[in-house]
Amino acid sequence: MENRKKVFVFGIDCFEPSLVFEQWKKDLPNLSKLMEEGAWGRMESTLPPITVPAWTAMMTSKDPGQLGFYGFRNRKSYDYEELYFANGAYVREKTVWQILSRNRMSSVVLGVPQSYPPKPINGIVVGCFLTPDKNSVYTYPEEIAKEIDSIAEGDYIIDVKDFRTDDKSKLLEQIYVMTRRRFAVVRNWVKSKDWDFFMFVEMGVDRIHHGFWRYHDVNHRLYEKGHEFEFAIRDYYIYLDREIGKVLEILPPETTILVVSDHGAQTMDGAVCVNEFFRREGYLRLKEEPKKQQKLKTSGIDWSGTKCWGEGGYYSRIFMNVEGREPQGIIPKADYEKVRDEIKKKLEELGDENGNPIGTKVFKPEEVYREVKNIAPDLIVYFGNLGWRSAGSVGGGSIHTHENDTGPDDANHARFGLFMMKGGGVKPGKRDGVKIYDIAPTILDHFGIPEEKGMIGSKIE
Amino acid sequence: MRKGFVLWFTGLSGSGKSTLSKMVEERLLERGVPVEVLDGDEVRLNLSKGLGFSKEDRDTNIRRIGYVAKLLSRNGACAITAAISPYREIRDEVRKSVQERAAFVEAYCECSIEKLVERDVKGLYKKALAGEIANFTGVSDPYEPPLNPEVVCHTGEETSEASLGRILKTLEMMDLIPKDPSAEYSAEEEAEVAKRLKDLGYLG
Repeated sequence: MENRKKVFVFGIDCFEPSLVFEQWKKDLPNLSKLMEEGAWGRMESTLPPITVPAWTAMMTSKDPGQLGFYGFRNRKSYDYEELYFANGAYVREKTVWQILSRNRMSSVVLGVPQSYPPKPINGIVVGCFLTPDKNSVYTYPEEIAKEIDSIAEGDYIIDVKDFRTDDKSKLLEQIYVMTRRRFAVVRNWVKSKDWDFFMFVEMGVDRIHHGFWRYHDVNHRLYEKGHEFEFAIRDYYIYLDREIGKVLEILPPETTILVVSDHGAQTMDGAVCVNEFFRREGYLRLKEEPKKQQKLKTSGIDWSGTKCWGEGGYYSRIFMNVEGREPQGIIPKADYEKVRDEIKKKLEELGDENGNPIGTKVFKPEEVYREVKNIAPDLIVYFGNLGWRSAGSVGGGSIHTHENDTGPDDANHARFGLFMMKGGGVKPGKRDGVKIYDIAPTILDHFGIPEEKGMIGSKIE
Repeated sequence: MRKGFVLWFTGLSGSGKSTLSKMVEERLLERGVPVEVLDGDEVRLNLSKGLGFSKEDRDTNIRRIGYVAKLLSRNGACAITAAISPYREIRDEVRKSVQERAAFVEAYCECSIEKLVERDVKGLYKKALAGEIANFTGVSDPYEPPLNPEVVCHTGEETSEASLGRILKTLEMMDLIPKDPSAEYSAEEEAEVAKRLKDLGYLG
């Protein structure tokens, strides 16, 4: 039994390739060693490069259209109701660990996004940050929740709380505690559990990027040299490298090791208030003029004068108000493509506050996905090619904002994450062109299992 | 440890027992349930080689399958059997024996003989009707449908996915397999998740 093949995956949410492969390579001895001994490179994420759907796309080798969810929140119907959260129960495609279970192999799956609510498998599942709180059943088997706390200094932390605090020192401390406890569980279970496949996802990097990027990136408009948090991200990367090293020491020697991230990070220049833009262009009409900057509620929209509206976040989703589709749609079906192209063009042409081009990219779902299941947005928008976030609020008087009241404006997600892989006969060296969809077939191949029907990636040679 | 059980398919040749047993096996394995399938044809090759199709031989074959299924199930596993098992008396005898230490779930694959003759995937009905195969269940040998099966799959009318769903639901309701979780958040839970994601900048 001890000669059996094993695969271990370090999932590091938002791990940025330029920082690991270049800027801090010499400060990260364990990761550098993996690079020397294995294959490595940038890895193209999903469109959009967002935690949901990216990790599930990685673990199913299916694109967001095939999966039928296009971000954290999605439309259930063409009504104007609130969006629903695509938690793990909405994942219909088979994940790597379900396929391994079917092949009588056991897995430990710890904190992988969209693993809440936990589905039963041959092994252990610990829910991700979509767990509301630890009063919910967030582990399978349920009783493992007690064990995880006992290993994690009495309180396993699923995700940092109160992220939008002004007390950055406290936030930083919380990120370290969360990571330290998660790695304690990982080391314990590597030794004490029976597993063929072990994967965990650490969220700390994503959280520290969103909270501290301005202090680290000389190109960020709020960068101040010599700030007390100037090296917060670098120091955390160094800490993470040490934690990774401690796990590497105890993995059985024949284990194939992967380090993967779902997307990278880049500086954020500001936010585009997409609905303010639509109001100004005559596409969106409200029932009442907002007195201050406020959330756009669909109940406050005058649908008889509205052609489209948008959702905020690190990217934007645009929904159109189509006759015969939405309850009070006004765009005639025959004009759908014409109006969609018009909106697309206007969004692409929108520059910064001085009119300078920002390189916004706008996508039509049917042109970028193999299938379009459930209800996709009509358009997907990367403002400034993800250099700008999207603010969904209305009021406030401006289309562009750099204020922090529409969401953190430190870092945005970047299109490329990273991968490293050592063992299993993979040739060392840099690889180009690896996609997030290649990971699942690669893992299955290491267990001698053919890829599932409809998987769109290829194994990394 | 979860209670073991025997999922006992019964039904005429070609009624979908093997197909469904394979599908149930895959789904249960995915959920981490230890499963073994004792397929009629395979058992005849290994466990019951040399046995014929007389009533006596058929009874012996079914008793052997029942015995192995019982051993597996009393150790917490799920044993799926997929033999025609035409006689009620033997099935009930196996049920009684299994139920000493585990659960017994009889799944009846109900399909009309007309439909089976029409489908006739293996070409057996044609031969049986032509008198080329003796003692063929449903044609020249009796089949006694179960009186109180735990689940009935109308395999002549419904898709195999629908039958599979019916079986999984039955096993879940009997608390024999772990359930797939529900997708719904309560209003409080949703507010909690929304706040976290908003704070992080994912919503806005």
